[in-house]
Amino acid sequence: MPASSQPVVVIAGLSHSYGSGATRRQVLFDLDLTILPGEVVFLMGPSGCGKTTVLTLVGGLRSVQQGSVRIAGRELLGADEAGLIANRRNCGFIFQSHNLHRSLTALENVRMGLEAQGRGLPADADERCRRILAVVGLEDHATKRQDQLSGGQRQRVAIARALVSEPTLVLADEPTAALDRQTGHDVVALMRRVARERGATVLMVTHDNRVFDLADRILEMEDGRIVGSRQGDSPVPHAGAGHRLEYTT
Amino acid sequence: MPIRRRTPLGWKQLVHSKGRLAVATAGVAFAVLLIFMQLGFMNMLFDSTVMIHRQLNADIVLVSSKARDFANPGTFPRARLLQALSTPGVADAEALYVTSRDWIKQSSNDRGERGAMLLLGVRPDFKAFRDPEITAKQHLLVETGAALFDRQTRGDYTAFRAAIERGERPQTELGGRTVTLVDTMQMGSTFGAEGALIVSDQSFFEFAINRNPGAPSVGLVRVEARRDAEAVAAAIRARLGGYDDTMAMTMEKFIEHSKIRIQQESPIAFIFSFGAVIGMLVGLVIVVEILSADVHDHMAEYATFKAMGFTNRALLGVVFEQSLILSVAGFIPGLGISLALYALVRSTLTMPIAMTLERLLLVLFLAVALCVISGAIAMRRVAKADPADVF
Ligand SMILES: Nc1ncnc2c1ncn2[C@@H]1O[C@H](COP(=O)(O)OP(=O)(O)OP(=O)(O)O)[C@@H](O)[C@H]1O
Ligand SMILES: [Mg+2]
Repeated sequence: MPASSQPVVVIAGLSHSYGSGATRRQVLFDLDLTILPGEVVFLMGPSGCGKTTVLTLVGGLRSVQQGSVRIAGRELLGADEAGLIANRRNCGFIFQSHNLHRSLTALENVRMGLEAQGRGLPADADERCRRILAVVGLEDHATKRQDQLSGGQRQRVAIARALVSEPTLVLADEPTAALDRQTGHDVVALMRRVARERGATVLMVTHDNRVFDLADRILEMEDGRIVGSRQGDSPVPHAGAGHRLEYTT
Repeated sequence: MPIRRRTPLGWKQLVHSKGRLAVATAGVAFAVLLIFMQLGFMNMLFDSTVMIHRQLNADIVLVSSKARDFANPGTFPRARLLQALSTPGVADAEALYVTSRDWIKQSSNDRGERGAMLLLGVRPDFKAFRDPEITAKQHLLVETGAALFDRQTRGDYTAFRAAIERGERPQTELGGRTVTLVDTMQMGSTFGAEGALIVSDQSFFEFAINRNPGAPSVGLVRVEARRDAEAVAAAIRARLGGYDDTMAMTMEKFIEHSKIRIQQESPIAFIFSFGAVIGMLVGLVIVVEILSADVHDHMAEYATFKAMGFTNRALLGVVFEQSLILSVAGFIPGLGISLALYALVRSTLTMPIAMTLERLLLVLFLAVALCVISGAIAMRRVAKADPADVF
């Protein structure tokens, strides 16, 4: 298999529990999931079914307790802090509430995406940040702070920040929750486009059926298990997209 | 590839909340001010105890082995002075008589308050002081009851000074006798006394009837040219060998000895250090509070940064950067106000309070230490920021 078609995410037998002793509660049960390079995969399901938990495990924000999680060839089960940090640097995160730093301008926020790489800033850092801000349509807003930006603009800054370091995998958790219908759709479409251009794979949690047309594949979770998978309504499904399942509400 | 400097996040966070920056800066400035004032007063006190020592025209000093501070030097037998004089290398040796006496301050409003003066008695034809002005005026002391008045005496003495300037000879009561102020000189005040008066040895015994010529307070010994004072002092000590009532030491040793003595014997060092420590603690509490509040406010951002791949160390660096900024931001106004207060103390109290480079560096170090310790306390929460909390 050529390197480019090596799966970016390979999850096998993943289980996860919160708490310990009497309060211990298992929230993920024996999960399997494979995502191919360039795929845009949405994860949906009722509140509390474990979507965010999956995302934090894939991103290396939590330690894997049981089962295997391989991200771009890196096994996260048993990974130490350095391994988790390396994985985080290889991922771009987009959060529900943008989480921009309020003391920093849009440009500086994006630059933090490069500083997070821990290698010192390259000389063309500002240029790269400006370029990606232009890609998300914010070239004129580089010096604005978050309180001078609209919700959609903030989310676009967050997209720029997540993608400026050219991550292998973009992880997003309900990025449209705070946005109106049109803005939400625009933001996800933008994220999809930028990720595509940069060859990044996307795993996004969403409840938002208004953006299903932007997915290559939609996975449905329930009570800590993946119970369904279908092709998204994306006009151009990705070659590696999974088989179509009947999806019933 | 050239590396760009990282974004000064700590600085950006601080200037973003100006109120917080102002409070923290004021806290550090306050601590710095308190420490400068405490150290300033303490050193001034130690310095002032040796101010008159520095005035004395002597290479070697004889003093009672029970001597305390300059205002209470005790006495020693005059015979020791003669023994010193017969030691090879000694050019001359004279007696200085010292005591404290109350006098009536003829203040301008004529309330007749009492004050304590340091009284120095010396033979009028002996150059006992380095200041040529005093030497030039000493002949005026031949007259019994005549005194040279320290114009730096603390308190309201405008009337005395004005009268002397007009060429008058104001009189007042000293130790129950009449003293005539024939002219002024400059000695500088000490903590124990408000000022000093120089009189002849004869007048001295008039004002201090319990004292006699056989028991001087300080022996002023000068060595012959090109003689090593330390060696001559050792020779005098050898000559005095059998008598342990008198110490002989070089001027430098005398000054050092007096300083150490007051530092050890008085609670002054403790009291002033205590004040400086309180200043540190107040500053510490304020800065810890401010930095912790800033960390608390930015927990979500710190968690986000960790999720993005920042290490704990990189984020601790942010708080560390803030600590250093606050220490410098607080030190500068603290130093400025301290210098202004020092000048005020000098001009209104005529006390020799002065900034030294060592003290400046010491307090800068303390300010940085204060902020770094505060930062270390506030930092502990940064480590607790959980990147898994960001979603
Ligand atoms: N840190 C935690 N400690 C204990 N339990 C947790 C923790 N985080 C999540 N849980 C529980 O684990 C389960 C799964 O949570 P998770 O956040 O993954 O769900 P979700 O699918 O993202 O839900 P939502 O759509 O509401 O965001 C929930 O029952 C939740 O209460
Ligand atoms: Mg969730």
